[in-house]
Amino acid sequence: MGKGFTVWFTGLSGSGKTAISKFVEKEILKQGREVEVLDGDVVRTHISKGLGFSKEDRDAHISRLGWLASRFSHYGVPVITAAISPYKDIRNNCRQMITSAGGIMVEVYCECDLDTLVKRDVKGLYKKAIAGEIKNFTGVSDPYEAPDNPEVVCYTAKETVEESAQKVIDKLYELGCLKKKGEADEPYSEEEKKEIDKRLEALGYL
Amino acid sequence: MGLFSKKKKKVVVVGIDGVPYTFIKKHIAAGDLPNFKALLEKGDFRRMNSVMPCISSVAWSSYMTGCNPAKHNIFGFIDRKPNPFDMFIPTSMNMKAPTLWQILSENKLRVVVINVPVTYPPKEVNGVLIGDFLATDLRKAVYPQSVFEKLDSIGYRIDVDAWAGRKDKDKFLEDINYTIDKRIEAAYWLFESQKWDFFQLHIMCTDRINHFLWEEYEADDPKYGPQFLAFYKKIDSFLGDMEKKVGENSEFIVLSDHGFCSVKKEVFTNYWLEKEGYLKFNKEKPSNLKDVSPETRVYSLIPGRFFVNLKGREQFGSIEPGAEYEKVRDELKEKLPTMTDPETGDKIIRKVYRREEIYSGPYFEQAADIIADPQDGYDLKANLNQEQLALKGSLEGMHTYDDASLYIRSRQIKSNSLWVADLMPTILSLFEVNVPEHVDGKVVV
Repeated sequence: MGKGFTVWFTGLSGSGKTAISKFVEKEILKQGREVEVLDGDVVRTHISKGLGFSKEDRDAHISRLGWLASRFSHYGVPVITAAISPYKDIRNNCRQMITSAGGIMVEVYCECDLDTLVKRDVKGLYKKAIAGEIKNFTGVSDPYEAPDNPEVVCYTAKETVEESAQKVIDKLYELGCLKKKGEADEPYSEEEKKEIDKRLEALGYL
Repeated sequence: MGLFSKKKKKVVVVGIDGVPYTFIKKHIAAGDLPNFKALLEKGDFRRMNSVMPCISSVAWSSYMTGCNPAKHNIFGFIDRKPNPFDMFIPTSMNMKAPTLWQILSENKLRVVVINVPVTYPPKEVNGVLIGDFLATDLRKAVYPQSVFEKLDSIGYRIDVDAWAGRKDKDKFLEDINYTIDKRIEAAYWLFESQKWDFFQLHIMCTDRINHFLWEEYEADDPKYGPQFLAFYKKIDSFLGDMEKKVGENSEFIVLSDHGFCSVKKEVFTNYWLEKEGYLKFNKEKPSNLKDVSPETRVYSLIPGRFFVNLKGREQFGSIEPGAEYEKVRDELKEKLPTMTDPETGDKIIRKVYRREEIYSGPYFEQAADIIADPQDGYDLKANLNQEQLALKGSLEGMHTYDDASLYIRSRQIKSNSLWVADLMPTILSLFEVNVPEHVDGKVVV
């Protein structure tokens, strides 16, 4: 079994998180791994049922997502989360939970300017939010804190969904989350590693 | 050099790991290396720079890719994954830039490559590749498998037993002479039995003897001094024989990847970081860097590589990116040069670099944040649980940056600022193969 990892999409509503995540999911499945997709909207109908959009409720919702992802990571199962997850601190807490459980967190920031999102307005939500019909709408009447050091930034106003997805997939290979077919996981068995460590120690390289 | 400028079809390279330019010059003058002396009369011999840090895995990676470490991704014999934190040994699996032999293979040229550092596990080439001393099992170190049987039957050894170098010098000398004899035997067998356009033999034993007998050599030790020189005479004799075998119509190159000098002291950079309040552990006796406490601001890896415990990058990062990160780097840049030998008061660090001063490329983020270049004689180590900053241990020789060497027969070297990465584009040009645009080195003939 490979290492557990979480591809954590973050970005405003309509910025392409779900669309890109579908391509990433396909690639993970293609490599023979299973993958759990935790879509923010879906999770809100189950373990986050009843939570609203105040900062407190949003933090609780994201924290639950992070905890779930950390449990999957612990057992080596890849996870994709696609939720706005607007607050930096809570995303960083989720990173700590996931890495402490032995997983790798790959934060993907779907960056898109508001004008483009309003024009796109796939779900018609921006129109309603601007009209004041939806309260606490991230990017319009609620803040969004962009990540400082995401593993990948997808510029979804300029890139195609396929281009953005490729960037994420490349990063997963680069970080060793995914392995190309025929590529060994490690150059050494446990025994060989011990022997090499001993050799390097004798040479003063450890 | 119009007479010699016609492109030749075959290239032979002999790597003599860690043999200083100044050492060769000195012993040619003393009459110890007659074959090398004869070679010099037929070509150009120059002092050359290594890379930072000047250790074989990094230097030979730059040699074979023509790139600085941020493009080939090999920064040391040991490296770290920041999140989740883990240590690993970089091998050919971590090499990110195409190697000289991969490019030659793609151009349908046949290659034989023997024992060059960071070639294990062996990647497929158009020819033969025997991996380096980072292999434990010869069967897994060779490509293709068909050469294994012969190598095994002659008693080929991947490397000497370095522990013998520390504990039993007689045993070590016996081992090193056996190992080099077998390496040469294997090289001649492949030289004769394979079809090749590019042939490279790497001699690691020179580095090994320098690590463990350099003091006896410098002190002219009555027992080991002559044995040290006898070993080099064997290498000299091999170079003479090889040069004759190569013949006049092929190119012949000999190079080393770094120089050597005596170790005055091994210096423990993590001890220094602890004393200066940068490094803290969760345990009284930490077993490795996984035991650092989240309060840690900086930790180090061998040799002289300092990593800021950066939030968002490291598993338990404590330093904010931006101003705080730069402040820590500024402090290190200021404080590291003040590190002195507690006994003599001598300065330990020659120069401190921010990573952007010496590296650029797609794997830049893997590089240490600060890289310290020590004064000759101060060997920077990262061992934990040390009780003092510096001590004299059993390692006798250490690497130097600016005393590598390059010899090219029948050619004039047209550069006064050579470094190991120049060889890859130079060799490609000898084959009239296009040099990839990303390459940092320059064609020097």
